[in-house]
Amino acid sequence: MPELTYREAVRDGIAQAMRADDSVFIMGEDIAEMGGSMGVTQGLLDEFGPERVRNTPISEMAIVGAGIGAAMAGMRPIVEIMYEDFLTLSLEQIVNQAAKHRYMSGGQLTVPLTIRTQGGAGWSPGAQHAQQLEAWLVHIPGLKVAYPSTPEDVRGLLWTSIHDDNPVVLFEHRLLYPVKGEVPEQLEPIPFGKARVVREGTDVTVIAIGPLVHRALDAAKQAEEDGISVEIVDPRTLQPLDEEMLVASVKKTNRAVVAHEAVTRMGFGAEVAAVLQHQAFDYLDAPIERVGAKFTPLAFAPVMEQYVVPHAEDVLAAIRRTVGK
Amino acid sequence: MASEVKLPRLGQGMESGTVTKWLKNEGDAVAKGEPLYEIDTDKVTQEVESDFAGVLLKIALREGEAPVGQTIAFIGEPGEEVAAPPEPEPEPAPQPEKVSDTAVSDTPVAAPPAPATSNGRVKASPLARRLARERGIDIATLRGTGPDGRIVARDVEGAQAAPAAPAAVPSGDIESIPLTNIRKTIARRLTAAWQAPVFQLTVTADMTRANELVARARELNPDVRITVTDLLAKVCAQALMRHRDVNVQYSEDALLRFPNANIGIAVAAPQGLIVPVVRGVERLSLAEVAVARGDIVGRARDNKLTAQDLEDGTFTISNLGMFGIEQFVAVLNPPQAAILAVGATVDTPVARDGAVEIRPLLTLTLTVDHRAVDGAEGADFLRTVKTFVEDPALAL
Repeated sequence: MPELTYREAVRDGIAQAMRADDSVFIMGEDIAEMGGSMGVTQGLLDEFGPERVRNTPISEMAIVGAGIGAAMAGMRPIVEIMYEDFLTLSLEQIVNQAAKHRYMSGGQLTVPLTIRTQGGAGWSPGAQHAQQLEAWLVHIPGLKVAYPSTPEDVRGLLWTSIHDDNPVVLFEHRLLYPVKGEVPEQLEPIPFGKARVVREGTDVTVIAIGPLVHRALDAAKQAEEDGISVEIVDPRTLQPLDEEMLVASVKKTNRAVVAHEAVTRMGFGAEVAAVLQHQAFDYLDAPIERVGAKFTPLAFAPVMEQYVVPHAEDVLAAIRRTVGK
Repeated sequence: MASEVKLPRLGQGMESGTVTKWLKNEGDAVAKGEPLYEIDTDKVTQEVESDFAGVLLKIALREGEAPVGQTIAFIGEPGEEVAAPPEPEPEPAPQPEKVSDTAVSDTPVAAPPAPATSNGRVKASPLARRLARERGIDIATLRGTGPDGRIVARDVEGAQAAPAAPAAVPSGDIESIPLTNIRKTIARRLTAAWQAPVFQLTVTADMTRANELVARARELNPDVRITVTDLLAKVCAQALMRHRDVNVQYSEDALLRFPNANIGIAVAAPQGLIVPVVRGVERLSLAEVAVARGDIVGRARDNKLTAQDLEDGTFTISNLGMFGIEQFVAVLNPPQAAILAVGATVDTPVARDGAVEIRPLLTLTLTVDHRAVDGAEGADFLRTVKTFVEDPALAL
């Protein structure tokens, strides 16, 4: 199987979808000649031309609004929001328009729009360029939300997003772009609502998303040296959520840790914990642990940034608390 | 207005009954006609169905004896208040010290293990509570080893492994456990057995071929769990047919000789020793014996035997081999004239043709009612059993 970086996998997914279907196009800030601020869309302009690889003005509301209009008119647009912090500027369009049109038109309109965005700390981008806002969007009925953690997952989920008739917000993480991983020779679409068991274990289940999947893997290796067998499950899509697999895993291990880079308070992990306590109550042998960022804006200063965001050691400490060692 | 569930009169002359188990928990929905609780009568335990539909609001008598007509529970609408039950269960003495709730803290701090019971509330994980419920362990008797002294699953499992853990017994107090009806019956019958003059005979049998036969029978009947007990039941039945004078009962005016070998199997059921009967074993195949034995033993463990299951036995087998007991003497099961005590099969060095070999040996001890059977008859019977066990083909 070929090996791609996460960045290359996103690019390959976009390119394959554009080759297969003329109604797919991409627009966003600096995505054409510059290839995007993270270099994800490099080369697409050369292959597909300025009609289908479009730079936009610096207006997130306009970018998403134009995408919604094109989607309702029969296209399958991909729009890029350079930093997920800037999603806040486009929320009126995402929350009040994209998520609502199919419902309010009684199914006469569909909005097959893919909104790609990226964020995340770990490179000192400061308080306005590193937030993790997935919890804002999983709260909105009418939206689907994906947060892939590997090259294979991002390519397969991007394909499914583009071909879904509903608006999808797909989160990428800045630090995942250089991560390498094997991908299938032929692109394999990954269905929404199917979690993936990243690592099998028997003592505790870590439900992790995005970069925390990788940090949980590091924590699991350390825990193994202490005789703690850790299972890691990546939901991959936050909405829809594969509750069945998460609950089955926790029923097996009797302990759970939920981990994400977003702040813990009101985070996606809170919803997962609620689902688990309700559906696996009689199987829990310890309180569900949550791992996430501390409840504070992110600092520029690297030492302070590192203090705020969760690391493998934080996941490991949570694992230890669940098993009482 | 909640309906009162009263202890029913289940037969003429019944003045009181003993509630042994509730099949519903407080808060559960109950349909009319649904089994609600179990009541202990003289011989068997009987399920009692609900006369009302609604929610089981309050169990007033969790277990124990009560006169007919006493209110033992309330059924009504969800959330409905009920009058104070006539016999409230004793509350554990409240402890004066107030324990602050650290569970809401975002980062649990290490604390010395505290007793699980504080203010009468037991701190236990949901899983531990479920395991304790399923295994009939009182969670309040356990000591928690989890964070902050919480009782976790391993504590329940530990209690299971060591049922006689001293921690479970309050020090200094002698516990008075009321006799169940089955315990009274056991005491009465075994005391009667002691009045019969008995003698014991012991043989050791080589199990090599018997084990092969059981293994082969399992292969041929993959859906049936065939055991050594089944083989012994079958073998004893065949031997009884050849030694009809052992298949007897002594009575004051006559010796009763039975046409069939109805083999009782001693079962350690949760409520106590009970001996259900497999009838006409001489006519059953090994697999049929296993099916019939599995049925009655299973129902004995689930407390679902009927009076008929316990009647008409002519011979009893008591097997303690699974506990590693090598040899023991069983007490007669009156009015039957004989009982066979079966130990564990043990690999033993034996002398064969001038050489030492390792053989799986089983020790069988027969207890015989001397009023009905003489020593030589008993010995001849046991020799036949040994011959059949060592070479089951001879039982044909």
